[in-house]
Amino acid sequence: MRALKLSGQVVALAVVAGLLGLLVWRLTHRPSAPKIGGPAPSFSLRRVDAAGKLDLASLRGKPVVLNFWASWCVPCKGEATMLEQAWQQYRKRGVVFVGVDYNDVTSDARTFLAHHGVTYPSVQDGSGNVADRYGVSAVPETYFIDRRGRLVGSHIVGTVVHQAAAFRTGVEAALQP
Amino acid sequence: MIARLAAVVVAAGVLAGPAAAACVQPRTSLAYLEGQIMCPTCHTTLDQSSSPAALRIEAQIQKRIAQCWTADQIRSELVANFGAGILAAPPRKGFDLLAWWLPLGGIILGAAVLAAGVWRWSRRSDEGAPPAAGELDAADEQRLDELLAHLD
Repeated sequence: MRALKLSGQVVALAVVAGLLGLLVWRLTHRPSAPKIGGPAPSFSLRRVDAAGKLDLASLRGKPVVLNFWASWCVPCKGEATMLEQAWQQYRKRGVVFVGVDYNDVTSDARTFLAHHGVTYPSVQDGSGNVADRYGVSAVPETYFIDRRGRLVGSHIVGTVVHQAAAFRTGVEAALQP
Repeated sequence: MIARLAAVVVAAGVLAGPAAAACVQPRTSLAYLEGQIMCPTCHTTLDQSSSPAALRIEAQIQKRIAQCWTADQIRSELVANFGAGILAAPPRKGFDLLAWWLPLGGIILGAAVLAAGVWRWSRRSDEGAPPAAGELDAADEQRLDELLAHLD
C-alpha cells in the first residue's frame, strides 16, 4: 500500500514537472520580431499569381521589398497601385518586390491582384506563420531586405502611401552594397 | 408534330432548370459551419467575429454551399488555404485523436483518484470514530455496573 502511494506521488510530481517544462518551453520559444540588421526570416511559400513556390533564399543577392497584404484589408487596396508603380521604377535597379498574402482566400487574392494590376510576385501565407515570424501585427506592413538577406531600414507599419519618404529610405537601404 | 416536339423540349428545359440548381446531397449551411471554423486574424470562431477576414471566409463558404460543396469539401479547402489552425477543433483521427481522448482520460483518472480518496477517508473515519452518543464502551460499562452494584 505504501509503495503504491509513493509511486502515485512520483507520477503526480512527474506530471506537474512535465507541464511546467512545457510552459517554460512555450515561453522561451515564442516567436519574437526579427531585429533590424539581422537575417530576414526565411520562407518558401506557394505563389498566388502563378504556379509553384517562391523561396526567399532564391532572391539572395537582390534587394527585396516584402509587403504583407490581404484582399480584405482596406488600406492594402489604397497602396497597391503605388507599390506597383514603385516596382516598375525600382526593378530597373535590380530591386525585387514580393507580396505576402496574409490569411486570405486564394480566389479573393487573385481577384485583388488582377483588379489592381499587380505584376510583381505574390505568395500566400494562409496560416499566417511567416507573418508571425516577421512580427506583423496588422496588414499592410512592408519590410526591406538587403542583398545579403538582412533586414534593413525601418519596416513600415500601415500603408506606404502616407509614408512615402520612409519607403524610399527603406528601398535605398536595401540597395546599399 | 414539330409543335409537340417543341413543347417537350420546353417542358424538359423547365424541369431541368431547378434540377440543375438542386444538390445531389443535402445542402450544408453557413450556420452549421461557422461555429467550426476560426477567424484567422481574431482567433474566435466565425460566428463570433465580424472582422473583414471572417466576413470574406463566410462569403467563400456561402459561395461553395451554392455550388453544392459538402461540409467536408469546404473544410478541406479551408485547411488547404489557411492550414489546420482554421478548424476550431482538431480532426478526430490519427495523432489529433489524443486531443479528444486525453482530457476525457484526465477526467476519468481524476474522478477515480477522488473516489478512492473519499473512500479511504470515510473508512479511516469509521475506524477512529468515538462511540456514538448514548453508547458506552466496555470500560465505562464495567464502571457503571460496579457503581450500580455499590448502590445496591
